[in-house]
Amino acid sequence: MGPRVRVGVIVGVHGVRGAVRIKSFTEEPADIGYYSPMEDEAGGTKFRLKVTGEVKGLVIATLEGIADRNAAEALKGTGLWVPRERLPGRLAEDEFLYSDLIGLVVEAVDGKRLGTVKAVADYGAGDVLDIKLEPKGDMMVPFTKDSVPEVDIAGGRLVVVPPVYAPDENEERNGGA
Amino acid sequence: MARSVWKGPFLDGYMLGKADKARASGRNEVIKIWSRRSTILPQFVGLTFGVYNGQKFIPVLVTENMIGHKFGEFSPTRTFYGHAVDKKAKRK
Repeated sequence: MGPRVRVGVIVGVHGVRGAVRIKSFTEEPADIGYYSPMEDEAGGTKFRLKVTGEVKGLVIATLEGIADRNAAEALKGTGLWVPRERLPGRLAEDEFLYSDLIGLVVEAVDGKRLGTVKAVADYGAGDVLDIKLEPKGDMMVPFTKDSVPEVDIAGGRLVVVPPVYAPDENEERNGGA
Repeated sequence: MARSVWKGPFLDGYMLGKADKARASGRNEVIKIWSRRSTILPQFVGLTFGVYNGQKFIPVLVTENMIGHKFGEFSPTRTFYGHAVDKKAKRK
């Protein structure tokens, strides 16, 4: 079995006809329906899911074979997993999925291991890699060709040029943060 | 003329000096700033600022469509990464 990703989790029930509320981890919550069928964490149970609506940031869906509230309640807390290859495969040049970047080993240009990618975030000024440094500390690097010259998803690594901060005479006055 | 127009955009005084210095150096350095309240001006386009969020400096590469916004808008103080598994990151 290849790598899998969790696209959602069942967090509650909706109504008395077996509908469930799902916290979706896809970029557009309702897109979780496109990944049906899904399986639980153990891979033993398959779920065919049909999205029927959205409420308060959660997706409402019906599951094939689940027709009453009690059966739906028993699924509360179940994660919904799909194989990695089911995620969008066609990416433009220099485009990467967040889930592929997270966990990559971070190396300096000279090959020295610096740490791993903890998270990727976009605060409105482009994507930023949050890197957990080894043995401790963290570093934020803009996801640009200058700062991240090499991304090797297959090799599980990326190369980073750590940011150089301009000297600041006011730093001590501001608490040296 | 409206008061907000003749007063001009707010900017902490030292920001322009820092930006000029960084641009003159020619190196691609990150400029550490604590002034989240300052407005992003056209002369900052192309520079990278490390905007303090109370904990760390978030790198902000200034582009044209960020002019007029405040630096603090791009450096959230409460971080929630989310879980978007199929979200795409574009390397610029």
